[in-house]
Amino acid sequence: MTFSRRDFLKAGLAGSLAIGTGGLLTGCGTGNTIKAFTTSTAGKPRRGGQLRAGLSGGSTADTLDPLNAVTNVDFSRIDNLYEPLIGLTPDAQPVFVLAEELTPNAKATEWTLRIKQGITFHNGKPLTVDDVIYTFQQILNPKAPASAAAGLASIDVKAMTKLDPYTMRIGCSTPFATLGQALAIPGYSDIIPVGYDVTAPVGTGPFRLKSFSPGTQSVFVRNDNYWQTGLPYLDEIVITDYSDETSQVNALLAGQVDVVNLLSEDVISEVQGESKNVLVSAGGGWNPFTMRVDTGTFADVRIRQAMRLVVDRQQMLDLVFGGFGTLGNDLFGIWAPEYNHSLPQREQDIDQAKSLLKAAGAEGLHVQLVTSDIAQGTVLAAQVLAQQAAAAGITVSVSDVTVNEFYGTNYLKWQFAQDYWFYNFYLPQVSLATLPTASFNETHWDNSRYNSLYNQAIATVDDSLRAELAHEMQQIEYDEGGYIIPFFPPVIDGYGANVGGLVPSKIGLSLNAYDFKGVWLS
Amino acid sequence: MTTATQAPERVGPPSKAARPHPIRDTLIKRSGIGILTLILVSILVFAATQILPGNAANAVLLNTATPARLHALEVQLHLNRPAVEQYWTWLIAILHGNFGTSLANGASVGTLVGGRILNSAVLVVLAGVIGTVLGVGLGVLAAARRDSLLDHVLSVGALAITALPEFVVAVILVIFFAAVVWHLFPAVSVFAPGTAPWSNPAELVLPVATLVIVIVPYVFRMMRASMIDSLESDYVQMAQLKGVPRWRILFVHALPNAIAPTIQVIGLNFLYLAGGVVVVEYMFNYPGLGQALVAAVSDRDIPQIQCIVLVLAAFYVAVNILTDVISLAVSPRRRLPRS
Repeated sequence: MTFSRRDFLKAGLAGSLAIGTGGLLTGCGTGNTIKAFTTSTAGKPRRGGQLRAGLSGGSTADTLDPLNAVTNVDFSRIDNLYEPLIGLTPDAQPVFVLAEELTPNAKATEWTLRIKQGITFHNGKPLTVDDVIYTFQQILNPKAPASAAAGLASIDVKAMTKLDPYTMRIGCSTPFATLGQALAIPGYSDIIPVGYDVTAPVGTGPFRLKSFSPGTQSVFVRNDNYWQTGLPYLDEIVITDYSDETSQVNALLAGQVDVVNLLSEDVISEVQGESKNVLVSAGGGWNPFTMRVDTGTFADVRIRQAMRLVVDRQQMLDLVFGGFGTLGNDLFGIWAPEYNHSLPQREQDIDQAKSLLKAAGAEGLHVQLVTSDIAQGTVLAAQVLAQQAAAAGITVSVSDVTVNEFYGTNYLKWQFAQDYWFYNFYLPQVSLATLPTASFNETHWDNSRYNSLYNQAIATVDDSLRAELAHEMQQIEYDEGGYIIPFFPPVIDGYGANVGGLVPSKIGLSLNAYDFKGVWLS
Repeated sequence: MTTATQAPERVGPPSKAARPHPIRDTLIKRSGIGILTLILVSILVFAATQILPGNAANAVLLNTATPARLHALEVQLHLNRPAVEQYWTWLIAILHGNFGTSLANGASVGTLVGGRILNSAVLVVLAGVIGTVLGVGLGVLAAARRDSLLDHVLSVGALAITALPEFVVAVILVIFFAAVVWHLFPAVSVFAPGTAPWSNPAELVLPVATLVIVIVPYVFRMMRASMIDSLESDYVQMAQLKGVPRWRILFVHALPNAIAPTIQVIGLNFLYLAGGVVVVEYMFNYPGLGQALVAAVSDRDIPQIQCIVLVLAAFYVAVNILTDVISLAVSPRRRLPRS
């Protein structure tokens, strides 16, 4: 089998560079709509047909509730049923979807939102800001907070005012300059109609629900009243849950499914052939090692820095993902405009690690790393880390626990563990993970300078000023943080040669975040 | 494996009034024990789910579990109640014929598991029947042509296959007949929920073939051995001397006597199938009971785990009873009281 990573990436760039992402969030309202992305593999877009997707990552706890999606297969369904105010291009840049304008006031404490007119839900009900208000109320319901509640906590639900059916004001309890970015993360804040019922779910998305059976199969049909003219191409989507990569690949090779998700690097050569292709995306998701900075061994910053220095990131990426993916620099939010590219790439430096350990009086360090099969490659990455750390005289004993135990009572309390995150912009991610008030502060990071920089940044409407503040925050994390972020894993999917319109995406969810409206069958 | 129940010991010839009903007695006694077994199983399984780390709320929320969300869901699913109370509530509901709702998705467990039972039953029955017929047929054939080339080939083949676990058999079949060499049959069995598994028979071929291949050797070997015993017995030699046709000797004289020990093996095979489908369903993504059980355990979905385990345990009990009853029925000798 001859193929190179370069070929994949080249094909990917050709697709994604073609997308315009002009003046998006600060209110120019240049009428961005998502275009149909085309790749040349399967000829011209064609209407009709049934796309059969064999997707792994789901469970019998699968849901159609767009506010409480958890698994990959959940995202595959809700990304086609519902739509957000703001979405992401395959390049991971925000783009208006249902929204038409989103403008902050000078202090970022109030936003004006205008939504597109003439959009209807699947049951014929027109979309108005009442639905937006209802959605935010559901997300921020204190009795049953939704997944997005943590990231949108600054919104003051009582301070949402309807100006007319398509315009509203969103008041914030604290400045919230990154509202647009926070809303753009796929699958967390899709708009549902007033009185939404999860047992008869309607959205504004390109496909309507036909049937749903958790953990097994779901069927979607074309929304003939979809507001983006000419889309979608497909008549029907059948999503079948698979629990095993082998049966996914077998089904693809036998022609029983058209697309499969979340493949490992090992099967690329098996899949790649005359009538099957592999789609490799440089994802923006990240699978960090998490060191608690508040207690225990890693409370000493020298030991944390030593751990970061023992990692040979390229080798880890080679071993875990066959070299696909992107090197990490212990910072998250790689595609965000605020990402600090000026910090030097951290390389393995065993001597420096040893001297840091010596200074900390921790030579011959012994630590336990809790791992679990929570995302692709996590367990393998833990084993590689243990091997690499041995070079600096550090013994890392890897404790592989079940997923349920991992997310059980000790979740967010482990001393030294791993986690996985989908792509998020830098500052919204900070609000979730590295503030003392963050819901998922797994490293227990609480740095007063950092916190105060965040508070300034979140109140700064000017993009470049905000980026400067964010750069300084990243410098602090780079020097002292509790995360080891060795790489941003790739996303590897497989598809039949008859499938057109699939593009690699930086979002980190498979199959361009399961956006099937631009996909066709030849 | 169970052994046949002994009929009550009596002295003297049976009088008509007090004639024992060994089959009926077996049925009654075994059913009683069976129900006790099921209750015990449900307690053990429930206890096991309590020992497993994490609960259904963790399994549903995974990495989105903030303490507030976790607590809200635990209250909603009643996971904050004492374990004994949870078990008692479940048991009372079961006695009213209510299997409860899934902790993972709120659907009715009875409906969820019902469809899965049908799917798995189709696999088990098809594989069991085909495997039995093939095994018995080949066993008779090999015994009738003892020490022929055919006999040797079959015996060696059977020995080789017994060394292969079912997932290896499945992989070989998929490579040859579905994914790589020939694209004759579907590599996975996916039929829409609510449609019957036989609606697309091609999807049943490889899973059933896998199970058949795994069980045939056991039936074959037992059948061959007991058939050879029968053929060497005095009454068969007598029949041969009398000039009874060969087919009649095989099927009328020897087979009925040879089948009794084989029935125990066939029963064992069905029991194996009930467990063996787990692996095969996983390999073929076949939406059956085994696959549902694996999913229910990883989701900590206690009502669904309980329901599926009870169904499987009931199947074990029923097959055991049935095997013993059939053994009794085909061995008149054992139905008589000992004297």
